[in-house]
Amino acid sequence: MPQLEATSPAMDFQNETYKDAYSRINAIVIEGEKEATDNYVQLAALLPDRLEELQSLSKMESRHMKGFQACGRNLGVTPDMDFAQEFFAPLHQNFQEAARDGRVVTCLLIQSLIIECFAIAAYNIYIPVADPFARKITEGVVKDEYMHLNFGEEWLKAHFEESKAELEEANRQNLPLVWKMLNLVEADAKVLAMEKDALVEDFMIAYGEALSNIGFTTRDIMKMSAYGLKGAA
Amino acid sequence: MFGLIGHLTSLAHAQSVAQDLGYPEYADQGLDFWCSAPPLIVDNFKVMSLTGQKIEGCYVESCFLPEMLATRRIKAATRKVLNAMAHAQKHGIDITALGGFSSIIFENFSLNQIQQVRNIKLEFERFTTGNTHTAYVICRQVEKAAAILGISLSQATIAVCGATGDIGSAVCRWMCHSTDVGELLLIARDRDRLNALQVELGRGKIMALTEALPQADIVVWVASMPKGVEIDPATLKQPCLLVDGGYPKNMAKKIQHPGVYVLNGGIVEHSLDIDWRIMSIVNMDVPRRQLFACFAESMLLEFEKLYTNFSWGRNQITVERMEQIGNLSVKHGFQPLLTFS
Repeated sequence: MPQLEATSPAMDFQNETYKDAYSRINAIVIEGEKEATDNYVQLAALLPDRLEELQSLSKMESRHMKGFQACGRNLGVTPDMDFAQEFFAPLHQNFQEAARDGRVVTCLLIQSLIIECFAIAAYNIYIPVADPFARKITEGVVKDEYMHLNFGEEWLKAHFEESKAELEEANRQNLPLVWKMLNLVEADAKVLAMEKDALVEDFMIAYGEALSNIGFTTRDIMKMSAYGLKGAA
Repeated sequence: MFGLIGHLTSLAHAQSVAQDLGYPEYADQGLDFWCSAPPLIVDNFKVMSLTGQKIEGCYVESCFLPEMLATRRIKAATRKVLNAMAHAQKHGIDITALGGFSSIIFENFSLNQIQQVRNIKLEFERFTTGNTHTAYVICRQVEKAAAILGISLSQATIAVCGATGDIGSAVCRWMCHSTDVGELLLIARDRDRLNALQVELGRGKIMALTEALPQADIVVWVASMPKGVEIDPATLKQPCLLVDGGYPKNMAKKIQHPGVYVLNGGIVEHSLDIDWRIMSIVNMDVPRRQLFACFAESMLLEFEKLYTNFSWGRNQITVERMEQIGNLSVKHGFQPLLTFS
């Protein structure tokens, strides 16, 4: 969310501390887009009637990944991809297990809701404090991500009754991972002037809205959101 | 559809409400949790006017807590207000009142500079601070309660604490224009603003709080402070009418003294019951009838289909606008609260 310009700190994007933190944050973003690229290909196999749409989403994610690679190069930063792969490993594993078992609802929750909402929150918080090059790239990307979130929302809304129990279970398993991931990057995000409480709030807004659009009540959403807190401990 | 953006009075209050509403998971969370909690619509209701007209509204909980200001978590506080506004707009609410500290935060931190909240462009004409109606109701409370207590306004000294604020300055204008009040004492922190107000009014004595209180027959408290202030009731006149227009309203609890009459300021009573939960949550004495006047302003604008930010900006409330909203208030069945706490 935009902050008051006057209160935004003057950023030194070439500062070594900034670049060190950026090497991990940038890697996470690149890895997140790569995960999304691969996940949409796997989803296309699970939803063959939506093949073209999902292939198109996958290509978009791949373009985003290249955009963020350019952001790293622009600042002369080498992304720490090993850190990023480890960062995404638990979510990656849960997605792979669900895909292997043909649990499309779980796959959609992980990719289209959790990862997309995580990306939307992070990009919205990052845009006001980004360097000019990355700001332009990120502004373009975030518009696409809303579209990707919409794909999952629409599919799950159309299949709400039969998906509800699996969504609740998938939420219970995966939402705590998001809080753990946020804790892992809290210090680096702060160096980039991105505050954890703002990230959590924006994530919860996007995720809550998505759950509401799918068909959950406010009470359901509050109960489901509480699982995030279990990952914060 | 009208909306109300509100918040709870303290962290302890928020924790107890979470427990009462059946969310024990949130009841033991600290301030950090509330700093990152999203806005949510927690109540939907219908309101009937004395004219028989019915409207629908909802309450948006912003999850702001006064402790955020007290601990200088300003970014969190401003996020709460903007996110709640975006939430209201996204849900198609035509006119929403910014209750409690929401309008103060909006004004003090110049949030009108931030119109874009994620993918929502805020349309400010969909929001009102509700301050015109609040100021009108406080003035009517002063006039009516003074009469009940046998205080003649023409002989009385009124001290307005927070005189330079949006509501305080409107109260001063009304008192000078529409009453024959004896003496008006102006109390606020900013001397330049006090001087400007005195020039505008053409009367009023600028005074420090401790000097003013013992002289006042009527004290109108409209200063906005997250922590409130201590008043020694022994220093007050007897009788003294104390209209507590602050939020949260805690003077009635703190000041229990013979001859000192405390009235919760800026509260209206509706002539008909409203089936909602939210006013019990904020501990109104008669929750189905009593509500904040700022909230009632959004109802009045909805009844009249006046979809405009009727109260907006700072120190722009005129006596004419107060009379206009006052007439609508009477028409639709709202009365100023006159029950002493």
